[in-house]
Amino acid sequence: MLSIKNLTASINGTPVLKGIDLEMKAGEIHAIMGPNGSGKSTLGKVLVGHPAYAVTGGEVLFEGKNLFDLEPDARARAGIFMGFQHPIEVPGVSNASFLRLAYNKKAEAEGRDELDPLEFDDFIHEKIKLVAMKEEFLDRSLNEGFSGGEKKRNEILQMAVLEPKLAILDELDSGLDIDALRVLGDAVNRLQRPDRALLVITHFPRILETIQPQYVHVLSGGRILKSAGKELAIELEERGYDWVLEEAAAGGLR
Amino acid sequence: MTLALSSSLLADLLGGARPAEWEALRLGAEGRLAGRDLPTTADEDWKYTDLKALASLSFGQAPRATVDISGHLLPEMVGTRQVFVNGHHAPHASCASAVQAGVRFFPMSTASEACHALGSVPDGGEPGLFEDLNTARFEDGAVILVPRNMRVALPLHLLFISKAEDPIAIFPRVLIVLERGSELELVEEHHGEGTYLTCPVVEVRVGEGALLRHERVQRDSDEAFHFGTLKAEVAKGGQYHSRTLSFGARISRQQPWVRLAEGADASLDGLALLDGHQVADTHSFLLHAEPHATSHQLHKCIVDGQARAIFNGQIRVAPHAQGTDARQQSRNLLLSESARMDTKPQLEIYADDVKCSHGATVGQLDPEELFYLQSRGLNADDARNLLTYGFAGDVLNHIPVASLRRSLRQLVMARTQADSLGELS
Repeated sequence: MLSIKNLTASINGTPVLKGIDLEMKAGEIHAIMGPNGSGKSTLGKVLVGHPAYAVTGGEVLFEGKNLFDLEPDARARAGIFMGFQHPIEVPGVSNASFLRLAYNKKAEAEGRDELDPLEFDDFIHEKIKLVAMKEEFLDRSLNEGFSGGEKKRNEILQMAVLEPKLAILDELDSGLDIDALRVLGDAVNRLQRPDRALLVITHFPRILETIQPQYVHVLSGGRILKSAGKELAIELEERGYDWVLEEAAAGGLR
Repeated sequence: MTLALSSSLLADLLGGARPAEWEALRLGAEGRLAGRDLPTTADEDWKYTDLKALASLSFGQAPRATVDISGHLLPEMVGTRQVFVNGHHAPHASCASAVQAGVRFFPMSTASEACHALGSVPDGGEPGLFEDLNTARFEDGAVILVPRNMRVALPLHLLFISKAEDPIAIFPRVLIVLERGSELELVEEHHGEGTYLTCPVVEVRVGEGALLRHERVQRDSDEAFHFGTLKAEVAKGGQYHSRTLSFGARISRQQPWVRLAEGADASLDGLALLDGHQVADTHSFLLHAEPHATSHQLHKCIVDGQARAIFNGQIRVAPHAQGTDARQQSRNLLLSESARMDTKPQLEIYADDVKCSHGATVGQLDPEELFYLQSRGLNADDARNLLTYGFAGDVLNHIPVASLRRSLRQLVMARTQADSLGELS
């Protein structure tokens, strides 16, 4: 589904990604872990086309097509979704209107029927149960005045509405208490299907107890230093990141 | 009529006969006008608002006219409206049958001069030129009196409609008095077609503990000139909340002046949506005259084409007005290279125990916000239009009269090209 080959990218001329290789197949859950400032979030933002980052080399294929030929909105309509670490507040636009608009743009692109406000109302009321969101958040302006946790809840609600093929979740656990993390983790698990893939970006292994990956990659200094199964997450929980960095340095990678 | 006026425009405007009532008031205004001329950009107060286009025109007296008002009726207020066409009361278009007993809501032309304190809301300085023009020549307008402790259930609707074949001048006058503990919602709208000059003056007295919500909608024609004066005095513990929404006029200027007594609360919000060569100017003055009053001011402008917007927000905290809480924000969106915004907060604080804050931003849409919407599948144009709509929608969302809120949202959606996005709330 996703094939990343020797991807390099920079921000304001400073290289951040220095050659990333990653293959993801449908049905898989991958975790990208690493110390702060390692380039984890950058990888996600580059994949969804954030304008602050310049791709300087390499290639990314999504379902066989060159991802960088697509504008960010076209990538979204093609089925890529990123749940951001810090979702933006948009005053004046109600959450419900925004969600319906986003849903209908995708439906239109896929040749499905668009939903009118009444139909969407039924649809969204099912979806908010999944993330245990209170109804009042639908009428409020998009993310405006939401707490960190409410914003994350809203990101997963958007994911549930858009049903992406590839979802990238950046630091889902930041700003969440234990209960909210469990609710959202369960919601993400329920959205996972054999034809979808999930990339979980996280500093802390905790979230991986709920959303269990098959593959764990440690990213540092803009490179993937180590890839292994989910047991790597447990090892990182116990030992921290330093040993991976040292091992990589000894191996001449850095 | 022997007035020595230096400006031919002013001479023109004062050319007609002086109306009979309120003679002392009118003579005072004429006296002040005798020494004055139209301001120029050399006047600090009019630095960014050039009146040359106005000075080159000549305005005749406004004839009576009939208009179709069906497009302006709002379901919440069908039986609580007074309509004025070209400044004259239009009895057949008006309908006040649903106005609550005890509330007095009638044309000024039928009011008795003796019993109403017109022109008695004091001003810190000399009345403005356009206010004086109104005082000298107004013929009609509305009087609203709400007795003590009465909560008026239905909002009242004031419709000023102008219809000009040739350029005409119109001077609507409004007096609103809320006695102690009363509550009222008022919608004041200005619509029109053709070239005209309108100089409305609205005087407001909010009694102790009384509450007035005042929605003001300016949808004048694109050839019109609108110079509005609002003077509000809010007594102890009273609340005055106004929202001024400017969409039309070639040149418009709003001059709200609000005085707050002890513990009073005011909000003075504004939205201007401009395109083409429009100019919209707001010069506001908020006086915290006594302790513990609060004020909030959010002024937003969306400026496109070669339009320009001006905001000058003065807040004065008098020496004894301790415990004042005053907040002002001027937020502005420029949608084209040649659009222009001049914003200037002016805080004069003479007390020491106060909370005052102000902020001004002028800019384009935030690239992070655009990207966020795009990342959810909206194309760049849709994202831009949605954000522009949202910028304005933020002010509209709090309008209490639902049908007005809906119709203004639709207007803003059309003006921000967000109407292609379907129904938004």
